Amino acid sequence: MVLRFPAETVNEPITYILIKEYDVQVNILNADITHGKEGNLLIEMSGLKESVDKALVYLEKKKVEISPVIKTILFSKELCIHCGACSSVCFPGALTMDSTSRKLKFTPDLCVACELCIKACPLQLFELNFGIN
Amino acid sequence: MAVKKSIGEINDKIRKGQAVVFTAEEVSAMSREMTPAEVAGKVDVVTTATFGPMCSSGMFINVGHSNPPIRMERATLNGVPVFTGIAAVDLYIGATENHPENPSYGGAHLIEALIEGKDLELIAHAKGTDCYPRRDIHTTINRENINEMMMFNPRNAYQNYPAAVNTSNRIKYTYMGSLLPKLGNANYSTSGELSPLLNDPELRTIGMGTRIFLGGATGYVGWYGTQFKTDSELNEFGIPVSNAATLSVIGDARQMSTSFIKAAYYEKYGVSMFVGIGIPIPVLDEEMASRVMIRNDQITTRILDYGHPDHPELGRVNYDQLVSGEIVLNGKNIRTSSMSSIYKAREIADILKKQVSKGSFLLSEPVEMFPAGKGLNSLEVR
Repeated sequence: MVLRFPAETVNEPITYILIKEYDVQVNILNADITHGKEGNLLIEMSGLKESVDKALVYLEKKKVEISPVIKTILFSKELCIHCGACSSVCFPGALTMDSTSRKLKFTPDLCVACELCIKACPLQLFELNFGIN
Repeated sequence: MAVKKSIGEINDKIRKGQAVVFTAEEVSAMSREMTPAEVAGKVDVVTTATFGPMCSSGMFINVGHSNPPIRMERATLNGVPVFTGIAAVDLYIGATENHPENPSYGGAHLIEALIEGKDLELIAHAKGTDCYPRRDIHTTINRENINEMMMFNPRNAYQNYPAAVNTSNRIKYTYMGSLLPKLGNANYSTSGELSPLLNDPELRTIGMGTRIFLGGATGYVGWYGTQFKTDSELNEFGIPVSNAATLSVIGDARQMSTSFIKAAYYEKYGVSMFVGIGIPIPVLDEEMASRVMIRNDQITTRILDYGHPDHPELGRVNYDQLVSGEIVLNGKNIRTSSMSSIYKAREIADILKKQVSKGSFLLSEPVEMFPAGKGLNSLEVR
């Protein structure tokens, strides 16, 4: 999820309180926070359901906006050499080889962001992108 | 009357711009309608190619002497160790050498950077001698300020290679790519009917000194490759059903292009390098024609299980099935993918076809043929 902090809460140690007071695990994946301005924090939060629910209530009380996140895969198509190493690990069929041209075809609509292609590509042309749903 | 052509006669036609040249794929397609005798009469040269990850690759460079000079004993380029166990400022960049802190960066990236003209940070140390008093050096090098850039790859262009699967319960990250558990996929290498050594399985025309396309430049076969093997089991079309012959190749990397030399990283395995190789094969007679007419459905390879440490064979498959995107193994349909790029191999075969057709690439008679009946030793732990 992405937590959007209003400017007045940026200075408060909210992540510390989440962990210390509400006993949830917080894994920070990306942070964009500047003193005195609105900030965004991309986190994974896990713990007992009761603890997570209480933590969410706390965040709402602090006027922190919570947005679920969708993962998408970015592909640097122009650098692809069309070996196809990614295609056999792509079970939803988003990455396929054209049987005539032998070029790789990426159909983002079929992608479920399983991330297997990221490790399969020898040129490391795939990356994970987090976007707010 | 049986067709017989010498390489000299074919070269005369190439010089006059009269040689008839086709790619190996085009000739494979002809095999459905024409006999070997007809192909031998019509076609002079067949261009073959491959563009795959070839670990046993690297480059000798000579960085020039500093003042005072140094006899480099330990050296790194952009933090990647390079081999110094030769003369004072000769270095060998092994393609698979890893950066100690960044496993996805290594020798192949250095080679690509040098070809592209980028600067590399050179740090070297030595004990200092009476003739080479300097002990340390820290500078930058690039393709313009060093002397030679000789690509020398001890083992490239495998004649055939087994396909890889994984029957274990865990994903395996290998030099054959990501292998999904429980036969989730099958990965293969080589460009099949387009691949150089599969079009001359007996090595009648490819030998020491053969002129080739290497990484976008003209290169040469310097020797047979390491792990060269000519006693492999053959299928009914005379094709070795597993890894067999290999080539050791050499060329001027300054003339090469990063379109045909590409650094690669395989997850949890390490760095490797895609090398583009093209070899023109002279159609000397009907027998040679029948060889270059080989089709994917006639090229067999073994399927090995990388889920077990000793890689047992699970079955056999032909390249027509592999290239189709799906094979059947143990009653299960399994998606396939290639480790080498057939798209890029076609590009190389087409470039070579144009070069030979317009007379700018002549064929060479091997200076010496490769050894026959050569087997392989394995390493025994004594």
